Amino acid sequence: MKHIVSFVLNGNPVEAAVAPEHTLLETLRDGLGLTSPKCGCNHGDCGSCTVILDGEAVKSCLVLAMTVGGKRIETLEGITPREGLHPVQKAMHEMGAPQCGYCTPGMVMASVAYLRKNPAPNLEEVKEALSGNLCRCASYDKYANAVVAASRGEFGAMSKGGV
Amino acid sequence: MRQYRFHAPTTFEELFRILDAEKGAEVRYLAGGTDLVPRISRERETIPTGDKPPLVLVSLAGLGLAGVEERDGEVRIGAMTTLSDLQANPLVKAKLPVLCAAVGHMAGFSIRNTATLGGNIMNASPAADSLPPLMVLDATFILRGRNGERCVKAADFFTGPGATAAQADEILVAVSVKAGSGSAAFHKLGRRAAETLSVVNAAAYVEVENGVFTTTRVAVGSAAPTVRSCRKAAQALEGKSATADAARTAAALVVDEIAPITDVRASDWYRRKVAPVVAARAILAAAGIHDEGR
Repeated sequence: MKHIVSFVLNGNPVEAAVAPEHTLLETLRDGLGLTSPKCGCNHGDCGSCTVILDGEAVKSCLVLAMTVGGKRIETLEGITPREGLHPVQKAMHEMGAPQCGYCTPGMVMASVAYLRKNPAPNLEEVKEALSGNLCRCASYDKYANAVVAASRGEFGAMSKGGV
Repeated sequence: MRQYRFHAPTTFEELFRILDAEKGAEVRYLAGGTDLVPRISRERETIPTGDKPPLVLVSLAGLGLAGVEERDGEVRIGAMTTLSDLQANPLVKAKLPVLCAAVGHMAGFSIRNTATLGGNIMNASPAADSLPPLMVLDATFILRGRNGERCVKAADFFTGPGATAAQADEILVAVSVKAGSGSAAFHKLGRRAAETLSVVNAAAYVEVENGVFTTTRVAVGSAAPTVRSCRKAAQALEGKSATADAARTAAALVVDEIAPITDVRASDWYRRKVAPVVAARAILAAAGIHDEGR
């Protein structure tokens, strides 16, 4: 049996019909058509499905869709400006971090959530913040360096709040 | 296909009514879901064999079980407190720093935002990283059932892998810890630094007076069907000078109190070899002994 769950997605109120066993990842991709959260492992290991839930980075394959009623969810679609890229995206792009790109949406979301609370991290802190995100191209250093560069404002000013 | 049902009670009365109504189904309590949700996903990815009873998911999120407070001189951690909130909590940082340190070794950043302390306890994994610290801190688990609350000591709580002293209709509501005068430390050996389950983990609590170990507790995880409180090792420390040699000699005794198996992470042989080393490192760190030789 499906239930209607209402929540705020990228700043807009939405309703989704979800079954008790559906994950948030399934609901975002298959129910609402947002394909930026990627299904890498579906078991919480890889982090490519990372989204921001009430301000915290979470793995959307580990969250049951039934539990997000009334909450605020942000995906890559929400943080990407209409024109151009978010500073974190710009930094990763210009510093050559994405290779195949499959982990990138998760890397961006984990980084953005972390930088909102920790605007001036060092390299080690960034690596810790991204420890739940696997990159099978092994571009870890480039991702971490890009996040530090973005935090220093090298790729434009970042807004503190979410959408 | 298996049927799934979902409930989110907001009072314990409602919870017990749901349990009465769902007799005959398999009931699973949902805390952070970081273990249960992938299990459900795995089940759904597998071609079904045979009929399974409906799976009833009962979310504990509406019962007000999150948060940390000081009550009667004890730190009381709500079962639904997320690992991230626990790690950042000023009271826990000040009074139970070993718990913050252990949480820092659990999974990765984003999982800690979802996973809860109560979930880690009630999963009762032999490899759970929160359990050796809770055991050496002599934590009390507070269960709420139909007839009210009861307390069980961490050392008496675990009966096997995934099995605890809690009845099917009892909910872990909080963990209560009285901070002692000594200090504690946690050490984890994993196959890598982040997002990994322990090969062996250990925690130690020591009180040292005039250079002598007085009260001590040692616990080793991932080396037996449950996390083990190693009383022989702890007794061997008490009354001895707080030296690296005493720590290592006592830690060697943990092999008599563990029963490791071979699994995907390590062999039983390897676990027997490293358990004393991991335990010794926990004791040394707790006692603040810098052991140059190692």
